[in-house]
Amino acid sequence: MNKDKIVIGIRLKNFRIALIADVILLLSLFLPMTSSGFDGGSVVAIVKKLTEAGSGGRYLYFAGIAFVLFQTALSIFSNIRPGKKAGTVWMVFAALNTIVITVELFASKLIFDGASLSEQKFLVKDFGLGFWISFIAAYVSLVYVMKGMRVHTGYIVLVILSIIWLFPILWIVLTAFRGEGGYYVGYFFPKNLTFDNFIKLLSPGSIIPFRKWWVNTFIVAVCTCLLSTIIILATSYTLSRTRFAGRKTLMKFMLIIGMFPGFMSMIAVYNILKGIGLSQTLAALVIVSAAGSAMGYYICKGFFDTIPKSLDEAATIDGATKWQTFIKITIPLSKPIIIYTILTSFLGPWTDYIFPSMVLGDKQESYTVAVGLKWLTDFQRIDSYYTQFAAGALMVSIPIVILFIVLQRFYVEGLSGSVKG
Amino acid sequence: MAKREQKTNPVSIFIQGDSITKLSYLVWGLGNIVRGQVTKGLIYLLLEILYIWFMISSGIHNIIMMGTLGTSTQGMTFNEEIGIYEITQGDNSMLILLYGVIAIVVSAIFFGVWMSSVYSGQMVYKLRQGGHPVPTFRQDLKSLVDGNIHRLFLFFPMLGIIVFTVMPLIYMILMAFTNYDAEHQPPGNLFTWVGLENFRLLLSSTDTLSATFWPILGWTLVWGFVATFSCYFFGIFLAMLINSKGIKGKKVWRTIFVTAMAIPTFISLLVVSTMLGKNGIVNVLLQTWGFTTQALPFLTNGLWAKATVIVVNLWVGVPVTMLMVSGILMNIPAELYESAAIDGAGPVTVFVKITFPYMLFITTPYLITNLISNFNNFGVIYFLTGGEPNTLNYYKGAGKTDLLVTWLYKLTKDSKDYNLAASIGIIIFIISVVFSLISYSRSKALKDEEGFQ
Repeated sequence: MNKDKIVIGIRLKNFRIALIADVILLLSLFLPMTSSGFDGGSVVAIVKKLTEAGSGGRYLYFAGIAFVLFQTALSIFSNIRPGKKAGTVWMVFAALNTIVITVELFASKLIFDGASLSEQKFLVKDFGLGFWISFIAAYVSLVYVMKGMRVHTGYIVLVILSIIWLFPILWIVLTAFRGEGGYYVGYFFPKNLTFDNFIKLLSPGSIIPFRKWWVNTFIVAVCTCLLSTIIILATSYTLSRTRFAGRKTLMKFMLIIGMFPGFMSMIAVYNILKGIGLSQTLAALVIVSAAGSAMGYYICKGFFDTIPKSLDEAATIDGATKWQTFIKITIPLSKPIIIYTILTSFLGPWTDYIFPSMVLGDKQESYTVAVGLKWLTDFQRIDSYYTQFAAGALMVSIPIVILFIVLQRFYVEGLSGSVKG
Repeated sequence: MAKREQKTNPVSIFIQGDSITKLSYLVWGLGNIVRGQVTKGLIYLLLEILYIWFMISSGIHNIIMMGTLGTSTQGMTFNEEIGIYEITQGDNSMLILLYGVIAIVVSAIFFGVWMSSVYSGQMVYKLRQGGHPVPTFRQDLKSLVDGNIHRLFLFFPMLGIIVFTVMPLIYMILMAFTNYDAEHQPPGNLFTWVGLENFRLLLSSTDTLSATFWPILGWTLVWGFVATFSCYFFGIFLAMLINSKGIKGKKVWRTIFVTAMAIPTFISLLVVSTMLGKNGIVNVLLQTWGFTTQALPFLTNGLWAKATVIVVNLWVGVPVTMLMVSGILMNIPAELYESAAIDGAGPVTVFVKITFPYMLFITTPYLITNLISNFNNFGVIYFLTGGEPNTLNYYKGAGKTDLLVTWLYKLTKDSKDYNLAASIGIIIFIISVVFSLISYSRSKALKDEEGFQ
């Protein structure tokens, strides 16, 4: 072989390993694809049987065989005459092959049972040596081709992880648009797509007062957000910028108070709310979450601490009061942390479940979306309302996700602020 | 002046003060009134009158009642005039305790007002003696937006914290020392002080209670560590993967994971819990794909449920760590990597010797707070398993995946054993404090080292 030939951007050593994997892949075509306990034989035999049964699944295995042949040919070619173009084609085929074999792993049962390949039902454990060897060889080959081509192998991991992470999201989206109702369905992709779930949920005559819930939560979120932001900013500014007797004690006190689990005092808060006649009202939610918001001053204070003190001093020399310094200097310099505070305190009421559920009890028209949606997944209701629950979940999530992705930068700054502090 | 003031204390002011100062301990604001701050003094006096009125009308009674938490049980007495049994109003221990706590908190606040009146009177006295002008009420008000801005800014936040956090907490802490359980529910029954009995039952009895407490505590600790560190390492791995040089479309990859994180957790957890049920889509798919013939007990078998909870928590928690770590990764000085590359260090060595120590150095405080919040991670457990599967070996209602917090919640919401719930709350508090103290001393030691600066 042309030993001295160096192609820029290619690692020949990895090509050799990939070639070995490809040869194994080719050989494994002749090994039994299913175990002896199951009536299948090698992949060629399976394609034959599926063709006799007229199953469309035969194309999958046929494609598998064809891709392996292509891949081996390209492999040999690339090893003799390494080049970027042939290498890329080789890599594409290797990727296709891993996809096909992964699909085979999941779809074989459906195809085999559909074509009644054998009297007994197929299970994954019935796959034979041939399948498992080619499964591993396909991935090994792909990894080494990618390494040889200097393409980051992390893409494989990222694709797999993305599928895992998007799986529940995809499921809830599909369920929201599913025409057939019910919790239990035996398939992933809905048979009919419809907007009915959304329309039903939003129609004024709906049994589920979802519109009311949404509006409730929105009102609570806006009010809480306003009050909490003001309180947090004022508290953080005072603790960061002014010095007064008892400041340290106050901070320690809040730290210690914060270590008691919040649920512990919930029943007492509930009794107090009842005492002032606010139980089962939305105002109670706003008041209680705003009242406790000062405890979360840390991140904001950490940010204020980084603003140079000399700015304040200069303002004081110019005759500004502390109030003016706060409004005219500190606030304009703290945009990221203000957005972070607004974002987190706005999102709070959308996700809070425990406290609202306790305060609101059984008064359904006052529910927030969190309480309402949980109420829909109750075992008595889940079967009739599962698709509407999904639609509701989607309607709550989409605005939040968009808001979050747009303001992600500020969130990260807040997060790293919490690390610093 | 502020410094001199700090050195004096109420006792020394009393001993050194003249008769008016001494008298103003009894009549709040007298010093201010006599020395020219009439409005301010009158406000103090008014507050004193309000407090005395409150204490006489109900406060003293409420505090005294706390001693016994009520003596007369609600009962039926025969009313001879009408000839039927009537319910006689008994004492309501719950309300007695609540009102008592309110009276105590109010007293504490007024104690603060009292002290402030003493200091304020002393300050006017000093100003007068030094021949300085005494600030008028208008000037005092103006100082609220300047020198005394902390009073203006902290008034409402502190009021909120006192009413809705401190007061309820004191109430619940006291409850840990009573027998306010399912059998002692007011208004039908009274409850009373029992000292440390609840803690004894939880910690050291042979009762089902301690047979429930210890396993749940164990699982809480295991869960806390596993959940925190699995998310941490996986998050670092993912962030490093996305941030590594050869990966294109970093923003797209990050957005995929951030999307999963931006969905409100309760929604994703509810969805996942419906997916993992016996007839949920995961089991359906596993069966149609031929991986198993029977539904897997993701949430119904103790061990399975614990594993499921940890895995699902990864799904929720990894993107958060990923986002946080991404920022830190970019801040690692590039020289460190360059010199490592010159020395011929492989990727593993670089991670073990540079990336990871740097990361650990910066994120230790975050890790500890995360650990504590995972001990108290109510959401994941509540929405996924609800603490189930239940077991008869445990105290009523508690299940295999219950954490201390979820058990606490069940004890308040379902079985109404408030005393036990409060005791567990205190235990959780102690655990949090211990871990925070460790973190505090640790991170201080690290900061002094300045290893990476």
